[in-house]
Amino acid sequence: MNDKDTQNEKLERILKRAHMPAPSPELKTRITAEAAKAWNQTSPEISWRIPVRRLFVSAAAAVFIIWLANCSSDYALARWQSDGLEVAHQQPPDLDTLPEIHYSPLARHLVSTGRKPSITDASALRSYAETVRRVLDEAQQNGVSKPPAPVEGRSLLLPTQPGLNSYS
Amino acid sequence: MDKNLPDNMLRAALARNDPAAVELMWDRYAGDLFAYLQAVLCSKHDAEDVLQTVFVRIVRKRHRLAGAHRLDAYVYRIARNEAFRLIGRRKKGRTVEAVNESWLIVPEDRRQPNDLAEQLQAALARLPQPQREVIVMKIYRQKTFLEISGLLGLSQNTVASRYRYGMEKLRTLLENLTL
Repeated sequence: MNDKDTQNEKLERILKRAHMPAPSPELKTRITAEAAKAWNQTSPEISWRIPVRRLFVSAAAAVFIIWLANCSSDYALARWQSDGLEVAHQQPPDLDTLPEIHYSPLARHLVSTGRKPSITDASALRSYAETVRRVLDEAQQNGVSKPPAPVEGRSLLLPTQPGLNSYS
Repeated sequence: MDKNLPDNMLRAALARNDPAAVELMWDRYAGDLFAYLQAVLCSKHDAEDVLQTVFVRIVRKRHRLAGAHRLDAYVYRIARNEAFRLIGRRKKGRTVEAVNESWLIVPEDRRQPNDLAEQLQAALARLPQPQREVIVMKIYRQKTFLEISGLLGLSQNTVASRYRYGMEKLRTLLENLTL
């Protein structure tokens, strides 16, 4: 360690034989003149204005960001809502071209009522409920018809509600 | 004499918006900044140009400067940024100015080899810039590690280790000189 320190001291002595030039008087004249020109060009700024200006800039930036986020959100929601409505009103295009399957009376009724436009008012809803009840009663009185024999190449799955065959 | 007296006078002049602050600033910082810029840029002409930019920038930011926690560190930071901006422009434009100018001087009356300044300059130029700036500030501007750490915003240990590694490399580079 001492050896290193001695070597460093020697090196420092060698380095100190040289020196760095100070800025020349011409350079001083040139630079101070430029600085004085810049001094006169820049208006004196009152110190309290700086934080106030920063505050305004920050507030404006915050308002802009919130406005941008709102616009983006509205745009995204509008697209989503219109897509959703389209899906809700869409009818299966090939509903009428489906091959005829032997449905039970309840299933036939459900399919036929499913093709009707949606019910919105209370009286229509009540009459619909009564119709369903009546059909159910009829089905209970008559007993459930046996499912048809499977047609070759067709599915046995029926578009009916589960538990329909459990009527006794 | 209080070490901070020049800075306090300078602050007061800046706060008063007194143009005499330019002269005070020159007297206080020009020598140190010029040496620092030469160490970073390894070029006297570039250091002169950047020093001018630094002073203009200081003048434009004078109101911030007046309220700065450490005036000297703020000034060095401006100088450092401007120096690196110049280096970046050079790299971007791929314009390498191979100006063979001396930024170290050896007095002629000493009985030293004529090329000592060139050798020292070449060896210093081969050091990494962070090590070179610390060595130049310590050797040629007589700054302590504490002062350098404050000016450059580094810890004292970092400054000391940069100095040590730099001196080791210099020893290798200058081994032909009588060490």
